[in-house]
Amino acid sequence: MAEVKVNARSLQCPGPIVKLFKACQGCAAGDVIVVEATDPGFKKDVEAWCKRTGNELLALEERDGVFIARVKKT
Amino acid sequence: MSKKLVVIGGVAAGAKAAAKARREHPDWEIVVLEKGEDISYAGCGLPYFIGDVIKEREELVVRTPEYFKDAFNIDVLVHHEATRVDVDKKEVCAKDLVTGEEKVFPYDKLVIATGASPVKPRVPGIDLPGVFTLRTVSDAEGIRRALLPKDSPRGMKGVVVGGGMIGIEVAENLKLRGLDVTVVELTDQVLPGFDFEMARLVQKHMEEKGVRVLTGEKVESIEKGEDGKVATVITSQRRIPCDVVIWATGVRPDTSLPKGAGIELGPTGAIKVNENMETSVKDVFAVGDCAENVNLITQKPAWYPMGSTANKMGRIAALNLEPDRVLGEEGGAKTRPGLKGVLGTTVLKVFDMNAAKTGLSEAQARAEGFDVETVLVPANDRAHYYPGYRMIVTKLVADKKTGRILGAQVVGDGVVDKPIDIIVTAITLGARVEDLQNLDLAYAPPFSMAMSSTIVAANVMMNKLTGRVKGIDPVTLKRRLGDENLQIVDVRTPAEIVLGTIPGAIHIPLNELSSRCGELDRSKEQVLVCKVGLRAYLGSLILKNKGFENVKILDGGMTVWPYEIE
Repeated sequence: MAEVKVNARSLQCPGPIVKLFKACQGCAAGDVIVVEATDPGFKKDVEAWCKRTGNELLALEERDGVFIARVKKT
Repeated sequence: MSKKLVVIGGVAAGAKAAAKARREHPDWEIVVLEKGEDISYAGCGLPYFIGDVIKEREELVVRTPEYFKDAFNIDVLVHHEATRVDVDKKEVCAKDLVTGEEKVFPYDKLVIATGASPVKPRVPGIDLPGVFTLRTVSDAEGIRRALLPKDSPRGMKGVVVGGGMIGIEVAENLKLRGLDVTVVELTDQVLPGFDFEMARLVQKHMEEKGVRVLTGEKVESIEKGEDGKVATVITSQRRIPCDVVIWATGVRPDTSLPKGAGIELGPTGAIKVNENMETSVKDVFAVGDCAENVNLITQKPAWYPMGSTANKMGRIAALNLEPDRVLGEEGGAKTRPGLKGVLGTTVLKVFDMNAAKTGLSEAQARAEGFDVETVLVPANDRAHYYPGYRMIVTKLVADKKTGRILGAQVVGDGVVDKPIDIIVTAITLGARVEDLQNLDLAYAPPFSMAMSSTIVAANVMMNKLTGRVKGIDPVTLKRRLGDENLQIVDVRTPAEIVLGTIPGAIHIPLNELSSRCGELDRSKEQVLVCKVGLRAYLGSLILKNKGFENVKILDGGMTVWPYEIE
C-alpha cells in the first residue's frame, strides 16, 4: 500500500481536483493519496468527489490555511 | 434663561442626539425620556447575547443614566413613557411607569426617537409562554432564561419565524448553543433585499451547519403543551415540536405619539423628515427607526431601520437644532449638515459565511423600471497562493442606459465588508462601471487579489455591457431547462463533471471544444457552464470564432447554481 503525496497548493479551480483525479488513475486499490491544497473550494469538492466516485475520504483537515485530504483508492 | 431640549427615546438615535446636543449647547437643559429600563444599549448585539457570545447584560448597555448625568449633565429618566406631545404649547406629557405619576416637560426643541417594535401578527398562540420577540435587553434575558431550565440548552428545539437578518442571526446563535433549530420563512427565500440566488448561498450554508430552513411556509398557529408552555408550531405544511419560538418577522416604526400630535408621517409609515431631520412641525425633529429615509438611488422615501443610520440621524438633528447659529470666529461653516439619503446597506455573518448588500437588488431595480445588466462573479478575497484565502461571490447590478452602478451583493466565506464598502462609496459618488474598473485599490497578497474581486466584477460587467459576452442567470436558466432550443455545454474537466452538472448538459472539456464543436447544433442557443464562469467565457469566444451566433455563459457557474445537479 503506497502513499502518494500531491502538492496542489496555490492551484485554483479546477487544479486540485484534477490533480487528485490524475493521481488516482495512477494508483492501485488501497493506495492512499494525500492532497494538500489552498483552494477553499477543494474542501467541498473532495468530499463530493469521494462520495460520487466511491473512494474513501480518510481525513480532511485545515492547517494554517492549507486543506489536507487523505483519500484511499477503493 | 437656558433653552430646553426634550428627547423622547434614549436607545441609539436619541442618546446620540442628546450627547451631541450637549457638545453643541453647553448651557441647555437636556432631558431624555425613555420608557424602557435601559438607554443606549447595543440592540444589534442581542442575538449574540442569546448565543452567550456576550455573557453579561452590562456588556450590551453602552451607557447608563448615571453616566449621562455625570459626563454630560443630561437628565435621563428611564421608565418614563411619553404619552402626549402638544406642539402648540410645546410640552411633552409623560408617565412615570414606576410611580404612575404624570409629569409635564416643556421644550424649546423636541427630538422624537421612539424607535420601532417587532411586528406581531394575530397568530393564535403568539402570546404563549415560550414565544418571544427580540428587541430589548429584557427580551434577550427572557430568551436566555427560557434556554436554561436545566444546565444546558443542548437538545432543546427552537423555531425561528422569519428569515431576515435578525431571524438568521438568532438561528445561528441558538444552533451554537446546541439547539435543534428550524427557520420558517413565508417567502421563497431568506434575506429579503438579496436576490434569490445570493440568498440561496446563505440558506445552503445554514443547512450545511444543521439548521433546517423552510421557505414558502406560513406559520398558522402555535399550540401549548400540558404545562401551558409553547409546544408545537403549526405551519401550512407541518407540525414542528418546539421548546422555544423566536418571532422575528420584522419591525415597524413606533409612531402613535407623533401621529397624535399631528406630525406628518411619510408613505412608509415612518415620520417624514427632511435631510436635517426636521418634521412637518417647527422645532420638532425625528431620528432613528421611527423616522423615514430617502433611498439615494431612487430618491424615493424609504425606511431602513439600521443602527448605523440611526446614529447619523441623531447627530445631524443635534447639529440642526439652531442651524442659523454662527459657528467659528470667521462666521463660516453655515451650511446645514444633512443626510441626503441611504442605500440600505447591510452586512451579516452566519456561521462561516458573510453576506452584504447595498443599493438596489436586481429585483428591486427591475421593479423601479431600470433596464439592468447583472453579473455574478465568484472570486477570491485574497491572492490565491496566499494560504487562508476564501471565496466570495459578487453580484453587481448596473443601469444599461447610463452604466451607473445601482447595487451590489457580496456573499461568501471570505471578507465581504471591504468590497461592499468600496461599492457603497462608489454608488454614493455616482460611479459608473468604468469608474469601478479602474480604482487604485490597496493590494498585497494577504489583503487582495492583484485584480480585486470588485474590479473583476466590474470588468465582467463591462464585457457584458459592450457585448463581449452574454450571460444567463441561474434563475432564468432553471426556468428554461428542457427548452429544445437551448443546449447546455459543461466545459469543465472530467474530474469536475464527477461532482455533478446541470440536468441535460452535455460535456465537452474546454480544451476539446474547438475540435468537437461540430457535435453541437448551431441552430440552438448555447449556454456554456464551468465552475465560476471564466472557462465558459473562454469557450464562448471559441464558439463565436467558429461562427456560433447565440452563445451565453451561465452567470456564476456551478458555484452559484442554486438548484439540483445530476
